[in-house]
Amino acid sequence: MTDSLGVPGALPREPSGRAGVLLLLALGAAVLLLPPFLPDPRAQPDLVAGVLLPPGWDHPLGTDHLSRDVFARLVYGGRVSLAVSLGAALLAVTLGAGVGLVAGYAGGRTDAVLMRVVDAALAVPRLILLLLVVALLERIPLWGLILAIGATGWLGTSRLVRAETMRLRTMEFVRAASALGAGHLRILLRHLAPNVAGPLVVATTLAAGDVMLLEAGLSYLGLGVQAPTPSWGNMIFDAKPYLVTAPWVAVAPGIAILLGVFAVNLVGESLGQRFGGHHR
Amino acid sequence: MPRPSTLPVVFALAFAAPAAPAAQSPSGTLVIAVAREAQSPVPTLWRGDQANREISDLLFLRLASLGPALGTTDDSSFVPQLAHRWKRVDGRTLRFELDPRARWHDGTPVTPRDVVFGFDRARDPKLSPQVALLLQRIESVTATGKDRVTIRFRERYPEQMYDATYHAPPLPAHLLAAMPPDSVAGSEFAAHPVGNGPYTFGRRVAGQSLELLANPTFFLGTPGPARVIFLLAGDAETRANLLLSGKADAVDNIYTLPNPARLERHPDFQYLSVPTLSVGYANLNHRDPSDPSRLHPLFSHPDLRRALVLALNREQIAGSAYGPATRVPSAPVSVVLERAVKAPPPLPFDTAEARRLLARTGWRDTDGDGTIDRGGRPLTFSLMVPAPVAARRLMASQMQEAWRRLGIAVELEVVEPGLYHQRRAEGRYDAEMAGATQDPTPSGLSQSWSCGAIGAGNVARYCNPRFDSLLARAGRSPSDAPALWRRAVAVLAEDVPAIFLAAQVFVVPVHRRFVGVVVRPDSPWADVWRWRLAPGAALPRDRP
Amino acid sequence: MNRWLLRRAASAMGTFLLACTLLFFLMRLTPGDPLLRLSEDRPMSPEALANLRAHYGLDQPVTTQFVAFVGGVLRGDLGASIEHGGRPVVSLLRERLPASLLLGATTLLLNFSLGIAIGAWQARHAGRRSERWVDLAGLATASAPSFWVAIVLAWAFGTELRWFPVAFMYDPLLPADASPLAHVIDYLRHLVLPAATLTIVTVGVTARYQRATMLEALAMAPVRAARARGLTESRVRWRHAWPNALGPMLALFGLWLPIVVSGSVFVESVFAWPGLGTLAAEALASRDYPVLMGTAILIAATVVAASFFADLAHRWVDPRLRTT
Repeated sequence: MTDSLGVPGALPREPSGRAGVLLLLALGAAVLLLPPFLPDPRAQPDLVAGVLLPPGWDHPLGTDHLSRDVFARLVYGGRVSLAVSLGAALLAVTLGAGVGLVAGYAGGRTDAVLMRVVDAALAVPRLILLLLVVALLERIPLWGLILAIGATGWLGTSRLVRAETMRLRTMEFVRAASALGAGHLRILLRHLAPNVAGPLVVATTLAAGDVMLLEAGLSYLGLGVQAPTPSWGNMIFDAKPYLVTAPWVAVAPGIAILLGVFAVNLVGESLGQRFGGHHR
Repeated sequence: MPRPSTLPVVFALAFAAPAAPAAQSPSGTLVIAVAREAQSPVPTLWRGDQANREISDLLFLRLASLGPALGTTDDSSFVPQLAHRWKRVDGRTLRFELDPRARWHDGTPVTPRDVVFGFDRARDPKLSPQVALLLQRIESVTATGKDRVTIRFRERYPEQMYDATYHAPPLPAHLLAAMPPDSVAGSEFAAHPVGNGPYTFGRRVAGQSLELLANPTFFLGTPGPARVIFLLAGDAETRANLLLSGKADAVDNIYTLPNPARLERHPDFQYLSVPTLSVGYANLNHRDPSDPSRLHPLFSHPDLRRALVLALNREQIAGSAYGPATRVPSAPVSVVLERAVKAPPPLPFDTAEARRLLARTGWRDTDGDGTIDRGGRPLTFSLMVPAPVAARRLMASQMQEAWRRLGIAVELEVVEPGLYHQRRAEGRYDAEMAGATQDPTPSGLSQSWSCGAIGAGNVARYCNPRFDSLLARAGRSPSDAPALWRRAVAVLAEDVPAIFLAAQVFVVPVHRRFVGVVVRPDSPWADVWRWRLAPGAALPRDRP
Repeated sequence: MNRWLLRRAASAMGTFLLACTLLFFLMRLTPGDPLLRLSEDRPMSPEALANLRAHYGLDQPVTTQFVAFVGGVLRGDLGASIEHGGRPVVSLLRERLPASLLLGATTLLLNFSLGIAIGAWQARHAGRRSERWVDLAGLATASAPSFWVAIVLAWAFGTELRWFPVAFMYDPLLPADASPLAHVIDYLRHLVLPAATLTIVTVGVTARYQRATMLEALAMAPVRAARARGLTESRVRWRHAWPNALGPMLALFGLWLPIVVSGSVFVESVFAWPGLGTLAAEALASRDYPVLMGTAILIAATVVAASFFADLAHRWVDPRLRTT
C-alpha cells in the first residue's frame, strides 16, 4: 500500500480516519460532559402515565418501560459501554499479543503447546468460557465484566500475532539484532512488538465494536452491567419486548452502538493503512 | 405499564358443570402454543413439571377430579372421573367404585388392578421420588372386588380424598406390569402413551409439536376438537407471534408474553380470567448467607421486613408484571388457595409509615451519603433475580428504585438460571425474586415455610414454631382444619417472612373460533374436550 | 503434501481431544446442579436426590466421571439426558442436527454469494459515494443485534403481512400425504425469515473482507502485469485478481462454518427453529451436562474440522504455501 507515514501523533490524514476520531471524541465528550444537565437515569418518575412516552419536549428520546428518560440513560450508559468495550478490547489484545509474540518468536515446542491450547480453547463455545468466569467471580463488578470479556476474547488475536511474528522473525533486521547480541526480551519488545502493531490496532478497534454487542447478549447470562446502572447493552436487552410498539427505546442505544462501532472502525482502518496495509 | 381502564376480559366461570355430552362428532383443530415441552406426559414419569402434567391430564384421568371450588377437604366436592362413586368407610378408609364404561385407549376396561398398579409406581421413592413424598400417609391400596378399590390411610387427616385422587392416576397394568420399572422411560409406551382420557396420543415431533387426537368413544362425552396440537415455543416472543399470525388459537397467559399491552384487546380473541395457584414474592433470607447457623443480620428483624413491605406499591409493581387482575396477598396464598383459607388483608403502601418505622428502629442517614445506616452499618443488601424471567426483572427494578428513595441501597443481581437455582438451594443470597406454583391444599404450605423444610423447600429458611404447630394440629383434626389453617396463615401475614407481591390471575386468550371455552385453574387444558368449534369458523387446518 | 496432511490431521485430532477435556472440566467447575431444576416445582427428599445423583453417576469423583465419559465418547455414546427424561444424547443430537444444517448451509450460501458479489462491486467502485453508503450499510447491519432483525422481520412479514410463517422448520399441520412439492415449498417458506435474519447480520462482514482482499489482490504485481498486457478489466478481475483474493476468503469460510452447526441461539429461539443452538442453551440453563457436552463436542468437532479443511483448501488454491 502506498501510504504516507505521517507525523506520529497527528490526526490520520485520510478524511474517514479523521471523521472517525472526531466522532469518537464527540461521543466521549458527550458522555463525560452532559450528565450534570440530565435527569437521574435511575429515576422512575411516573410508572402509570409516564412509561414508553414517545420522544418529545420533556424527553428528547422518550421514556422506557419504567418511565426513565432514555436520553439520560443513553449518555450515562455510554460511559459504561465505552469503558467496558475499550477496556476489554485492550485486555484481549494485550493478552493475545503476548501469547502470539512468544509463540511466534520461540517456535518449536513452546509454539506447538501454546497454539494447541489456543486452538482447543477456540473450539470451546465462548458462552461456556464466560460461564466459567461467572463461576469464578460470582458477583460481577464492572472490572470483572471487562476481565471476563477480555480474558475470553484474546484467542483469535494470538493467532494473528503469531503468524505475523513468524513472518518477521526471519527478516533481516531481527537477525541482525540477534547477531548484535540483543537478548530475547529486547528483540521481542523493541523489534517485533512495534512491527505487529498495525494488525493489532485493527484487531483492537474491531474487538471494541464487538464487545458493545456482546454485552447486550451477556445480560442473558447475568453477566451484563447490573441495574440500575444503564449501559447500551442492557438498554437494548430491556427494550426488546417493545421493539415494535415503542421502537425509540430500542433504537436509541442501537444507533449509539452503531456510531461507536462505526467510529472505531474508521479509526482502525485508517490506522491499519498507516501501519502497513493490513486489512485484517 | 399503562393500566388499561377496560380490559375486555370475559369473566367466565372457570368451570362449567359437566356439560351434557354433545351428540355431534369431534371436529376442528385446536392449536395451543406452550412454553415448555412435555417430554413424558405419563403419570409417574412426570418429573414434577407442569408441562408434562398438563398434557397427561388429557390422556390419563384420575379417580376423581377437584370440584369447581377446588376444595381438597370435603369428599363430596370432588367430581367423578374414572370412579363414578366413592364411600367413606371410616376415618382412615375410602372405597372407590370404578365407572364400568371406563376404557383404556386400546379398548381394555380400566380395572382396580390399574389403580393399585398406578399407586405402586407413584409410591415407590425410587421411581417417583417427588410424588412418593406426598403420598407417605397412604398405608395401602387394594382391589376389593370387580370394580372396587379400597385405600387405607395411616392416620385420620383432612385431605385424604385429595391424596387418593390427585397425585397418582391409574396406569394400564396390562401394558406395563411386565415391564421392568426402569425401562418404562425409554419404552414404546413412553413414546406413545396409552391412556383413558378424552384424547389419545397422536404423534410427537421432538422440540416442535405434540398432536393429540379425540377419543370418539370417551365415556364421559364426545370431545369437541378432533385434534389438539401443542406447539412448543420456548421464546415468549414466538408464542406471541404464533398467536398474532393466526397459527395458534390459545396460549396460557398473555402476561407471560413480551409487551402484553398489544394483546390486551385484540378483536380475534376472547379472554378468560383464570385464578391460579401461582404466587410471586421476594424471599428474604432469614439466615446469614455465609453462616447458616446465625440469623441474617437484617432480615431477622420483623420491623425491617415490615418497613420493606410498606415501602412498596405492590399493586402497581405486581400489576405491571402480571396484569391488573393480579391480587396482592399478605401471605403465600394463591387466588385458588384463598378459597380454602382466607388470609388477612395485606399491609398498606405507606412510605411515610415505612420511614417512621425505619427511623424508630434506628436507621438514619448519619453520614449523609444518601443511604441510611445504623451502628455504622449501611442498610444495603442484594436482590437476586433469575435472568430469563422478565416479569421478575421488571418487578425487581421497581422495588430497587422504591427502596432507594427511602435510602435503602439494593444491589440487583440478575443471574443466569443455573447459578440462581444453586445459590437459592444453598441459601447464598440476601433476597431473591421467587415464584411458586402451590398445591391446591393449605397443608402444602409446610413444604415452603415450616422449620422442618429448611434445607429442602424452605428456601427462605424461615422458622416459626407457632406456624408449624398450627399446621400440624390442622393435619390431625379434620373438623378444626379450616380454622387452624386460617390462624396459621394469619401468623405468616403477621410475621411478614417474605415480601408477597402477587397472587396471579392468568388471562388466557382463546380465539373466537371456539365456543364453550373453559379453562381450569389447576390444569388449564384439561377441559378442552368440552370446547366446540363455532359454526362457520372452520379454517383450512380444521379439515380432517 | 501427504506428510503435511498426516501431520495436520493428527494435530487436528489432538486439538479436538484437548478441547473435549477442557470442556469437561470447565463444565464441572461452573456452578449449578442438574438435579435442582428437576426438583424445582416440588421438593424431593435428600435420599431421593442421592438416588438420582447415583443414577446419573454424579456422585462419582470427577476423574471417574471423566474416564467414563471418554470411554463413552470412544464408543459413540454420549450418555443420557437428565432433563429430557433419560433419552440418549446421541438421538437428541441426531434430531436437531438436520435443522441446524439446513439453516446454516442456506445462510452460508446466501452470505457468500451475496457477500462476494457486494464486496467485488465495492472493490471495483472503491471510494465512490454510493460505495461508501453500501459500506456503511454493511457495517450497520453487522452491528445490529440479531434478535432485533429477527423480531422486526417476524413482525413485518409474519404477523402483519402474514407472508411467511413465524416459527418452526415446517408446518406441523401439513397433512403427511401432501405432495412432495408441497413439502418442499413448506420448508422453503419456513426457511425464509430465519435465513434472511442470519444473512443480514453476517453478510456485511463477508462483503468487507471480499472488498479488502480484492483491493489487495488488485494491487499485486501479477495483476498489474495482466492489466499492462491490455486484458479486459473483467478478465483481470475475475481471472487474475479473484483467485488471489480467494485464500483469505476460505479462511473466513472456515470461521463461518461453525454457525452451520451452532447457529445463533437468538435467531433459533425467536423462530422456534429446532436446531442445536436452542438445545444447547436449554441444556446450559438446566445444567443438563450430557446434552451440553454433546452439543459442545459437536461444535468443537466442527470448528476443528473447519479449520482443517480451510487450511487444506488454502494450500490447494495458493500453491505458494505448499513449499513452506
